Amino acid sequence: MGEVQKGLLSVIQKLKGSEEQELRIVLLGLDNAGKTTLLKRLASEEVNTITPTQGFNIKSVHSHGFKLNVWDIGGQRAIRTYWKKYLGSTDMLIYVIDSADQKRFEETGQELSELVEDENLTSVPLLVFANKQDLATASSAADIAEGLNLHTYRDRPWQIQACSALSGEGVQDGMNWICSQITSRKK
Amino acid sequence: MMGGAVQQDAHRMFVQVCLYFYCKCLWRCLKFVVRKLTGRCELQRICYNTKPGAGRTMKIETSLRSSKNKVLQNAVSVHPDAIEKTIDTIMELKKINPDVNPQLGVSLQGCLLQIVGYRNLIAQVEKLRREPYDSEDPQHEEMLLKLWKCLKPDSPLEARISKQWCEIGFQGDDPKTDFRGMGLLGLYNLLFFAERDAAAAQQILSDSLQPKYREVSKEELSKFTKAEWEKKKFDKAIGYSFAIVGINITDLAYNLLVSGALKTHFYNVAPEAPTLSHFQQTFCYLMHEFHKFWIEEDPLDIMEFNRVREKFHKRIIKQLQNPNMALCPHFAASESLINL
Repeated sequence: MGEVQKGLLSVIQKLKGSEEQELRIVLLGLDNAGKTTLLKRLASEEVNTITPTQGFNIKSVHSHGFKLNVWDIGGQRAIRTYWKKYLGSTDMLIYVIDSADQKRFEETGQELSELVEDENLTSVPLLVFANKQDLATASSAADIAEGLNLHTYRDRPWQIQACSALSGEGVQDGMNWICSQITSRKK
Repeated sequence: MMGGAVQQDAHRMFVQVCLYFYCKCLWRCLKFVVRKLTGRCELQRICYNTKPGAGRTMKIETSLRSSKNKVLQNAVSVHPDAIEKTIDTIMELKKINPDVNPQLGVSLQGCLLQIVGYRNLIAQVEKLRREPYDSEDPQHEEMLLKLWKCLKPDSPLEARISKQWCEIGFQGDDPKTDFRGMGLLGLYNLLFFAERDAAAAQQILSDSLQPKYREVSKEELSKFTKAEWEKKKFDKAIGYSFAIVGINITDLAYNLLVSGALKTHFYNVAPEAPTLSHFQQTFCYLMHEFHKFWIEEDPLDIMEFNRVREKFHKRIIKQLQNPNMALCPHFAASESLINL
């Protein structure tokens, strides 16, 4: 948990000194990918009593007048039709994948490729979290990137990051990438 | 300036600490005087002045916890089998003659059974919550299949892994991933509801699947823009996912239990120690009430779930602040247990 806090702090510190701003980050992915766990991890909350998301969760992390608004939207098929409603003025898209759910790699890839077509997401940076690396059956981030054809995404910066939202491992690295994207975009 | 502020803070803190000790001392003195005047200790006075139920048990609990005597402090966490002995010790300590006050021991025993029982119920519920659903475990599988049979008696499940699970409100073709942080507790609750309150559970399931029929007055109509109204009218996904909502309501019940908010309810309905079935009845009640609340709130779509849930949670907490509150007066299966 401390690691993540440090990660968030570094994002904030690097942005300090520049003008105050709010960032809108949207977390998407199939059901059971680990979006809510990741959200709670980012907000330094306890991750043991998570339930399936009906609708959405939102958390803001405040620091030094800087505000990170993270939207975690349910991944159930019936809810995916609502995703589009939440994409307006998004600064960053985080897409979460259950790396051990090989059976649904195709489904998640298809959802992602449809998602990035949305005009609200034009040139919005994409961070893919290859989550659940703590499981023995998890695929590697490289294999997932290949399966998703991420190399064909040329209209936006993207990054894939292996992580375990449960243990917190890798989450900080992803946040560092987000930070570098935002600062480079501001220049 | 800064130094002044710090000094002021330190001064304020000093005054607060003094005030705390002064009040504590005053309270002790008051207790001493009242004890001398009435010839009764605080525990006796509570039992004589408050009727049995949450009002009395909660006062006894506070009194024991804030006692300066270790025996009294530890009384709230003794093993249920040691309660009788603890009460004898308390009576001795307070120099109360059980032959002159036969009722006091009985009253105290009732309170302690409830207090200790509540603690043990938290431990039992926590254990179930921590046990993940395991599809290798035949008992877990049996319960899951039974849940289907109870909710859908007329349509058999075609395969263990099947899109049919979505019909009772699971997210995908295998419910095992949906139990998550609530573990077996979610399944226990859902099955209890589907089995013991079958008609209501099936009715709520069927309602949750219906697109909502809307009748609106002209006033109401003028509140919406035309586009909004069109959307509202044709939105088919107005229902909610029964099983997933059940797991979320399990989380709500679990939070109410662990935070101690459910004490008023359990101390009022369980004459002795509250058990797991009391907790499960509470879950059934919450499912009923949430369903009614959802319809009253008339949300635009499922995306409002967490807002409605939060509002519902606050309402229940507020109700439970009334010491006479019992949550399930209308639930048929619980009537045998309410004998106050």
